[in-house]
Amino acid sequence: MLELVRRYVSGYVSLTNEEFALLAEKLEVRTFQRRVQLLRAGEVEYYMNFVVAGLVRMYFYRGKTEVITNIAREGELISSSSSFLSGMPSHYYIETLEPTTLLSITHDNLDEIYGKSVRIERVGRLMTTQFVMQKEEWEYECMRLDTRERFTRFVERYPDLLQRVTQKDLASYLNMKPETFSRLKNQIKKRPAVVKMSIK
Amino acid sequence: MSKPPTSYKAALEYLHGYLSRYTALSKQEFDQFLPYIEIREFEKRTKVIDMGEVERYLNIVAWGLVRKYLPVRNREITIQLASEGHIVHSDLSFHFRTASSCVIETIEPTVFFSVSYENLQEAYDLFPKAERLGRLLMSDLFVKKDNRFFDQLRKDTRERFLDYVLSHPQMLQRVPQKYIASYLNIKPETFSRLKHLMRPGRKGTASRE
Repeated sequence: MLELVRRYVSGYVSLTNEEFALLAEKLEVRTFQRRVQLLRAGEVEYYMNFVVAGLVRMYFYRGKTEVITNIAREGELISSSSSFLSGMPSHYYIETLEPTTLLSITHDNLDEIYGKSVRIERVGRLMTTQFVMQKEEWEYECMRLDTRERFTRFVERYPDLLQRVTQKDLASYLNMKPETFSRLKNQIKKRPAVVKMSIK
Repeated sequence: MSKPPTSYKAALEYLHGYLSRYTALSKQEFDQFLPYIEIREFEKRTKVIDMGEVERYLNIVAWGLVRKYLPVRNREITIQLASEGHIVHSDLSFHFRTASSCVIETIEPTVFFSVSYENLQEAYDLFPKAERLGRLLMSDLFVKKDNRFFDQLRKDTRERFLDYVLSHPQMLQRVPQKYIASYLNIKPETFSRLKHLMRPGRKGTASRE
């Protein structure tokens, strides 16, 4: 399990064994069955979570409608980050879609190890920067790409999610009506040679 | 800020104060960053960065006003209005060293304190405080972005209008209406209509709960 985290972190900074140990000793293993709520809107997010196994979604309610903003798989992070970073109540809910194992760290523990190691602080800076970039990229895509283009890009990036996540949830995540999602999915089946979109 | 600083010295002092909100930063520590800062000046209605260019700088507005927008088909979607003390740059381009999707253009004559990508990496390597400041600034930016995203989706047009206008009173005077409307994702006609709510003398409309 720790190997997965180490590999993830080394994508940002190669930590020495001692530095990684500082991080590892603060990580908690948390396991959940499917359809378990890890966080409710209004609560403060204490954890930054690394998905070791399973699938987790993050969403909020617009009136009665669920709007999914994140779906995290193995090797990805999930957290109500703005609540985690600010200490303010979360706007979002977090729920498992499959039985899930997480490696989690609390905000206080993270602050503590930031203080102990500049290179861990750099990991923090780069990861936080990555969150900002992902959000910016997502917003640009919503504004620049039409429904079909967003769908195509999603299918290219996350082909396995088509099987693992319900159509209703995927439509919500892609910010389109379930009927539209259905229609696009059937079109892809008929015409497998989808126009390639460059990711960056 | 009610009035922009009138000298580079005052603007730098403001920057020191701004950064000190994130982490204790003595005058000596701040002065160490000064060699990494370039002062860049632009006339009004000038493009600071255009689509397709690679963003070389992280900019803080010392004084002036700029607009960041995304050209989409025939429209321009305003995604940021930056005044004194705000950080503005083409983030994705800066971070990934790729072509910018957005345009940054001045509305008023503007002076930036800018740090080049190379200088920023060097500062991160040399000063642990820079690393911490960078992390905290990014955290703050993330929270702001998230709150804005959430507001745009959750709040209705009138709420979004009042929220913005009451917390940024000078913007109505300084920024052309169509840009604020675009930024708030409100139709220009609706924006005009809402603006009349702000006229003094109308009871109960300009105040928040």
